[in-house]
Amino acid sequence: MLSINKASERDHLVIALNGEVDASNSVELDEVIQEAIADNAHKILLDGSELEYISSAGLGVFMSYLEDFNEKQVTFVIFGLNEKILNVFHILGLDQLISIKNTREEAEQALYEA
Amino acid sequence: MVKPPNIARSKIYILLTIMSWFALLFVDLVRIFGEINQMEGVIKREITWILEIIFFILLYLFFNNSINKKENSNFLNLIWRAASTGLIATGTSFLIIYFYYILQDTRLSDDPLLRNFFYHVNFALTAIFLISTALLWKHLILYQKNKAVVQQWQAYEVILLISMFFVLINQESFNYGFMFGLIFLIIYGVILSVNLKWIPYLTFREKWKSILFLAIIVFSTVYLLVQLVSYTQKNVHFVNLSENLFLLGLFAFVLIYAVFSFLVTLFNLPTSSVFEQKLTEAISFQKLSQSIQPGENEDQVLDILMDSCMSAAYVDAAWLELHADEEDRRTGTVLYQKFISNGERQEIMDLLKKTEPFSAYLKSQTDARIEYLYGKISHEIYQSVLIMPVRANKKILGDMFLLKEVKDGFNKEMINIISTFVGQTSISIENYRLLNEAIKNERYREELEIAQRVQRSLLPSALHHNRCFEIDGFSAAADEVGGDYYETFRFDQDNFALIIGDVSGKGTSAAFNMSQMKGVFHSLVQLNFSPKVFLSKANSALSRCLEKNNFITTTYYTVNTKEKTIHFARAGHCPTLYFDKEKNTCRFLDIKGMGLGIVRNDTFDQYLEEGTLVYHPGDVMVMYTDGIVEAKNKNGEEFGYENLRILLSSIYELPAHEIRIKIIEEVYSFVGKETLPDDDYSLLVIKFKA
Repeated sequence: MLSINKASERDHLVIALNGEVDASNSVELDEVIQEAIADNAHKILLDGSELEYISSAGLGVFMSYLEDFNEKQVTFVIFGLNEKILNVFHILGLDQLISIKNTREEAEQALYEA
Repeated sequence: MVKPPNIARSKIYILLTIMSWFALLFVDLVRIFGEINQMEGVIKREITWILEIIFFILLYLFFNNSINKKENSNFLNLIWRAASTGLIATGTSFLIIYFYYILQDTRLSDDPLLRNFFYHVNFALTAIFLISTALLWKHLILYQKNKAVVQQWQAYEVILLISMFFVLINQESFNYGFMFGLIFLIIYGVILSVNLKWIPYLTFREKWKSILFLAIIVFSTVYLLVQLVSYTQKNVHFVNLSENLFLLGLFAFVLIYAVFSFLVTLFNLPTSSVFEQKLTEAISFQKLSQSIQPGENEDQVLDILMDSCMSAAYVDAAWLELHADEEDRRTGTVLYQKFISNGERQEIMDLLKKTEPFSAYLKSQTDARIEYLYGKISHEIYQSVLIMPVRANKKILGDMFLLKEVKDGFNKEMINIISTFVGQTSISIENYRLLNEAIKNERYREELEIAQRVQRSLLPSALHHNRCFEIDGFSAAADEVGGDYYETFRFDQDNFALIIGDVSGKGTSAAFNMSQMKGVFHSLVQLNFSPKVFLSKANSALSRCLEKNNFITTTYYTVNTKEKTIHFARAGHCPTLYFDKEKNTCRFLDIKGMGLGIVRNDTFDQYLEEGTLVYHPGDVMVMYTDGIVEAKNKNGEEFGYENLRILLSSIYELPAHEIRIKIIEEVYSFVGKETLPDDDYSLLVIKFKA
């Protein structure tokens, strides 16, 4: 079960994930991010506070856009991950590549500093 | 009991019949000779009767035997057999008359013995004709028999048998008893003669032929009867063989059945085409309903459909147009065009697009529920049109156009029968498609089984080790195939390499990537790189072959049992759990790392770290994939790292094999029996001994 909400705030786009990301619905996440890139969003905030689980397929989605983010100078910040999911990002090493913050404020700050 | 072969039996019958006939002839001639010379009582007339009965019975047996053998010969053959026998008997009788005509006024022509000889010949042929025909009638009567008819016939046979012996009981001719018996036989013959079920199955031509044959039979029967009776009246010195209830009864039966058949066939002639039509329809149904064999084409069924519909409604021209279909490349093609040229078809199509009610249907094709369209058009040749959509799996496959030259050419019955044909075709095609799909699925399943077998073989069956450590592994896939991988390698006596990995995603795609990982491992391990170099080379290799959103997590270890050291690097894989016997601590070896395929450039190294350990006897190392720690119970709780750590702390004393079993048991019991594992589980346990 996954629901994705997209909202524009100031200069940035907030994508909020609610539920679990697994192999069956990772495509939806992929579509949303692809859309955001296509719309030339330069600042993307991912709200993971309601994210309960993410499988390797879901992590694969973030991973596959890392290069695109670099090329198009998109700032991508994740915030609000629970401890378990944060650990998943950490184990895989993705925390070294993606900026992950605890709170929305920290995340927004990071977004507008860059 | 040994049964004598049939051929021998029929030969015996012939022989016996001929013998009985000669005996009869001899006895009768002697009697007449005695009568002429007034020598009374030389041979009693009862002997004649008994011989006659024997002759009848033998004939009956012989024909019963010989006709039964040709059971599957058709009706026309049977009737022809009767007719030809009748012709022979009649012909012989004519020859005898002609013979006497030549002998006119000679003494020989008055000779009673010669006359009686010819009488016996005539009698024999008549008897042959009657008995054989009666038995042929039996076949016709018993066509599509039911129990009642069979019983009727058996009763009739018994009655005939009794009637043979009637002559012995009732010696006076044509008294009440005789007349009563004869009338009874005639009535019974009439009752039997109602069974004429074979006639409708004759074609029109066959009916004409059978009418001819039946006429011959009727004529022969009447003539032979008259002939036999006339002997009785003409001759003074005479042995009367015809005054037999059996013979007269048979005459009546053969004649009645022939006349009935003749009349019924005659009156059936006009309706015979209808019956033939219905029979063809039934056969068409059967053809349509036979499901198409796998590998054969649907076109064949459509062809049969066209032919069936055309013959059912006397259609003058027709074509079948298939609709555009994404799956089918024969888009909008005209399949089967019968008795109509392309030009004419186009002409009619244009006409139809202008004529209601066809135009609306042909333009939009939206009303999918329409069953048929029927109406007239103003074309110079064709006056009525019927359009039938042919469906399969609720989709319209195409339209069948049927044209007739007459106005209002399709009546309700025709449309009904065509609808049924179309329905049957749909079912056939649907069944065919379902069957094909089932076969395809079956093949996929087999392929998957093969994949499973192949993948099983990718995991090592034996793990390298020496006396310094024990090692034990386990792997289970959630689907048929999985993406977990572990392997060992031995460089020399003291040096080993170990790897454990997990491919992102699961199922078939993960399995393919796992086999790539295995290839990469075996290529690189031989070069004896340090773990960090090994992983960065592996990353470089895999970056070129993995899909954009796929990655592999792995940990690579080198173990030196001489120096008792372990070097390892972690590429995004779950941190190894390590139990230190000396310090009595259990911890995760969490060093910096990055999954293979995530960073696909030279900067990958900078995200890696290499760890080094010195082990002591009693230390335990547990390598696992995320399936183990992320295994969920029915409440959605994960097994978790902490549970694993606590578990190992309590069972580190056990040998590696038992530690492995215990951990797997615990994980499965945590998950519970109701929940299906949704990820692959793999586990590798090493226990150092020296």
